[in-house]
Amino acid sequence: MSEIELLWTEKYRPRTLDEVVNHSEIVARLKKFVSDKNMPHMLFAGPPGTGKTTMAHCLAHDLYGDNYRQYILELNASDESGIGVIRGKVKEFARTRVVGNVPFKIILLDEADNMTADAQQALRRLMELYTASTRFILIANYPSKIIEPIQSRTAVFRFTPLKREDVVERLKYICSNEKVKCHEDALNTIFELSEGDMRRAINILQASAALGEATVENVYKVVGLAHPREVREMIQLALSGNFAEARNKLRTLIITYGLSGVDVVKQIHKEIFSSDIKIPDEIKIVIADLVGEIQFRLVEGADDEIQLNALLARLALIGKKFKPG
Amino acid sequence: MSSALPWIIKYRPRTIEDVVNQEDAKNAFLNWLENWGKPGQKKAVLLHGPAGCGKTSLVEAVARSKGYQLFELNASDFRRKSDIENIAKIAAQTSGLTSKRKIILLDEVDGINARADEGGIEAIIELINVSKNPIVMTANNPYSKNLLPLRQNVLEIPMKRLSETHVVTALKKICGAEKIECSDEALREIAKRSEGDLRSAINDLQAIAETYGKVTLDLVKSLATYRDRQYAPYEALQRLFNAKYVFQAKDALTSTDLDYDELFLWLNEHIPTYYEDPEEVARAYEALSRADVYYGRIISRGQWDLLSYMYDMMGPGVAFARKVYKYRFKPFKAPSRKKQLSETKRSREVREALAEHLATRLLTSKATVKAEVIPYLQVIFKYNPRYAARIAKGYSLSEEHINWLAGSKSLEVIGYLKKGEKAREKGRGG
Repeated sequence: MSEIELLWTEKYRPRTLDEVVNHSEIVARLKKFVSDKNMPHMLFAGPPGTGKTTMAHCLAHDLYGDNYRQYILELNASDESGIGVIRGKVKEFARTRVVGNVPFKIILLDEADNMTADAQQALRRLMELYTASTRFILIANYPSKIIEPIQSRTAVFRFTPLKREDVVERLKYICSNEKVKCHEDALNTIFELSEGDMRRAINILQASAALGEATVENVYKVVGLAHPREVREMIQLALSGNFAEARNKLRTLIITYGLSGVDVVKQIHKEIFSSDIKIPDEIKIVIADLVGEIQFRLVEGADDEIQLNALLARLALIGKKFKPG
Repeated sequence: MSSALPWIIKYRPRTIEDVVNQEDAKNAFLNWLENWGKPGQKKAVLLHGPAGCGKTSLVEAVARSKGYQLFELNASDFRRKSDIENIAKIAAQTSGLTSKRKIILLDEVDGINARADEGGIEAIIELINVSKNPIVMTANNPYSKNLLPLRQNVLEIPMKRLSETHVVTALKKICGAEKIECSDEALREIAKRSEGDLRSAINDLQAIAETYGKVTLDLVKSLATYRDRQYAPYEALQRLFNAKYVFQAKDALTSTDLDYDELFLWLNEHIPTYYEDPEEVARAYEALSRADVYYGRIISRGQWDLLSYMYDMMGPGVAFARKVYKYRFKPFKAPSRKKQLSETKRSREVREALAEHLATRLLTSKATVKAEVIPYLQVIFKYNPRYAARIAKGYSLSEEHINWLAGSKSLEVIGYLKKGEKAREKGRGG
């Protein structure tokens, strides 16, 4: 047994375009760019865990070889402190030229949809300014939050959630490599819970394996442990009319567990339809609509806690109409 | 009639009894001063309350009657670190047998701007620590963000806004002393417009009396103006929730110096303080939620013309969530979110550092690591310490990271980690 272990999401990440098992059309187009040694600015858009960042790294690898990371500048819009910092880094990076036969370097800007419209305008200028020596690959979950002038300057690639067979196949491959006992139904359960997010699927698999083997029971155990019970308790408190306590639970989730508002909302949605909370079906639908509206507002709004409190207050009101169990 | 002295100075309270309507604050203050220097006592107080309620007057009156020498400094005198260090020299002196005891008064500390007055607040905290004399600070708004670090180091003494009756009584005394003809209704009108600010009431009185030699209701109505008042946050909330008309709810929002973020924080905290009926709570949060959406759009797209809609929702929208109007007085305390955030600071910092550490390796953002990776890592660390130790090695995690991830199992993880190292050393030796 080796004494060093990695997270499987890192260990089993494809390194080259050939290793990418799905998104065959995107792969084909990117391979063309590699053979031409030319490419446009690009926008990779799609939900989390569908391989956007991985694909960009594979592309860079195929273009520049094993030491590709010196030819790409990796930025994350949500971790950088502002467009000024980004501008400075891009300027510095674009100054030196690539040695070899690819005439440009790549700037990889992850979570570009987290940039304000003003910052995106400044980014657009940067893209034009350094177009001779660099190519931008922008990565976003919500392409609609990218301003049109940028969308029109980029080749847009849409990444769709992974299909069941893609996810299950990959998990099986990992299981056999790791010599972990994996039950077919457990892998299917993982897919259901991961919603086409490969990163999540692999994380669940690794944690389940750490509990012994990947059984349906362990999968549920992992997901239950990773997603704190507080969400369910919070919903039950709200439905029973105890808004104040529900609000305290929410604070714990945000402050202590560090969940984002969208994380909380998605878990609420899951809990509503789980069999552990007794809610009449017609009310489940009302709540689902409400939860969706709040998720929309979370993305648009400024303060997660306010939006979620609004949701809890509505749940407290709805709870008066029936006796939650 | 002599106008050599502004009346607000001429009629400053001389004795402690002259300070009206502040019995609780007086007792708390005197009690603190008497016990100053005893173990467990705070070395500084923060007197806070609306403008013109007698904060500075109280300190001056107490100093005079109890025989203290007062070193009084205004916000403009202690803006920079170096200014405060000069004060510190005086403060550090103990009073000799012959010299008087001293009180250091830092007036209007909320006037210190955290950004412009680099290090100002830190210097004050340092001053409190070294001072051998009592330090008194005053502020209109103790909830100001800038004062947050200061508040833990001081005893807070709130002072009330004066009632109309108290203002009228004080004005009457001055009319008598100055031998001016003042009608009762005129004084009441001045008092009303002063909204409990005795200083502005006396200024109005003097302005009219010195120009016309008498004070009548007509003169007051034509001359005295309503001032744009800054209310403490809890007062602004009182006004907002109890607003009868839309314009009052809007005014209440702009009557404090809270910025937008803080306004949201206060309202978010206190909707359930004011409303008890679940339907009212839900309606109020719905309005606040809409306001937050406008605010989000304003920030992300710079659409500042949406600001008025945000105000509509957070002011009148929240106030008119009620089913029936009824004046309700509620205690609006400072929001607890900030406090909770500061209590959990260390733990969040570790999580943040860990997320940053992993983000580069996993080619993703800190946010994704926090939401999608760390929860599963925690499961592994808590349920399989041996396996966790190998991962800890793979990512060169520090002991602090391991403690945070593994909780009660951290010793086991670290144990396996060390065993692995020893085994390797042995392997190398043999």
